[in-house]
Amino acid sequence: MKVVTLWLDGLWDRNPGLIQLLGLCPLLAVSNTLENAIGLGLATLFVLVLSNASVSLIRHLVDDAIRLPVFVLVIAALTTCAELLVQAFDYPLYQSLGIFLPLIVTNCLILGRAEALARREPFVISTMDGLAQGLGFFLVLVSLGALREWASETLILAALPPGAFIALGLLVALHQAIQSKLKHLRAKVIADTKDRRVRTTGDIS
Amino acid sequence: MTLRLAAFGLITSLFVGVIYVITKPLIIEAKEEARIAQLYALAKPLLSKGAIQTPVRKELPSSAPTSLERPLMITPITDSNGQIGSVIPFRSTEGYSGTIQLLIALDQDQRIVGLRAIDHKETPGLGDKIDTRKTDWILSFNGLSYEDLSPNDWAVDKDGGRFDSFTGATITPRAVVNALRDTLSYFNANPELLEVSL
Repeated sequence: MKVVTLWLDGLWDRNPGLIQLLGLCPLLAVSNTLENAIGLGLATLFVLVLSNASVSLIRHLVDDAIRLPVFVLVIAALTTCAELLVQAFDYPLYQSLGIFLPLIVTNCLILGRAEALARREPFVISTMDGLAQGLGFFLVLVSLGALREWASETLILAALPPGAFIALGLLVALHQAIQSKLKHLRAKVIADTKDRRVRTTGDIS
Repeated sequence: MTLRLAAFGLITSLFVGVIYVITKPLIIEAKEEARIAQLYALAKPLLSKGAIQTPVRKELPSSAPTSLERPLMITPITDSNGQIGSVIPFRSTEGYSGTIQLLIALDQDQRIVGLRAIDHKETPGLGDKIDTRKTDWILSFNGLSYEDLSPNDWAVDKDGGRFDSFTGATITPRAVVNALRDTLSYFNANPELLEVSL
């Protein structure tokens, strides 16, 4: 059950990009093209999964006094590794992501997950949470990138920074609309089952 | 706990170090490839007539401006009659964050054929307009030679010169224009330094 909630939270119910609104700076800045969005999304996913995993592994070794510096150390080291790897294997991507690749270190989603979950939960749960949250972030980044790249062919605004805010706003609105429909549906299903139960009891008596 | 924190610092540094050593040769190779691709894009107008040769090391006298590396690696472009141009790296340390690496292609009259910022860490949305991926600002230098403008005009408009400084981010274009001016005026005074014997 916990695992299902974990995945639902990361991908939909508490999606980092659409509900928690974490990591907005890279989300808005690097979503101008689909390729950039995929690149940064994967790099963030990589750092988040490994940081959650390592924070969970060392959770019994750190006390409150050194917890934050150690987590920052871990995240900074992983971000540097991600930067080196992208540089080695996709240099043009490294050039077009520019400063936003090293800035993954300041993405509050990563430190947020370490603080909120990974420092208390066992390895498997933490890693899975990193994967779920990272994938949730990745999917929003990629949808935003695809949306903006597609729209910018007819509307130059979509490629500019204000376009990023508007596009994200539309995505958040869409998410809210679907969410309230879902809630409605869920309530209806529960009401229906109750109705039937009432009728069944009525028939018997 | 202090000791433990130090240990964590050591372990993470070690980890980064290992990745660094593994990726280093790959990064050098990727950078070299990107540089050569840039070189071709930069010298395109000259390449219809000539071909890029292997870079030549050139020792510079101590009077050379700080915008030039020592020794300087000049990439000559030649046709059957000899040199028709050169591609020269230069840099500016006056940028907003870190060194801005630039590359310039000159023809034999020292006219600018192409200019690019090949590596920089300037602020996104402000200083990074020197990058051709963001704006065409740096292309506005094409076709100019040092003697076309008076020395005072080789500056951004905020400093009384001819070149557009971006609103809110003067430091970056100023760094580029000043380094370009130093480089061009130096080669204008010492044209023999660009001659490469083949």
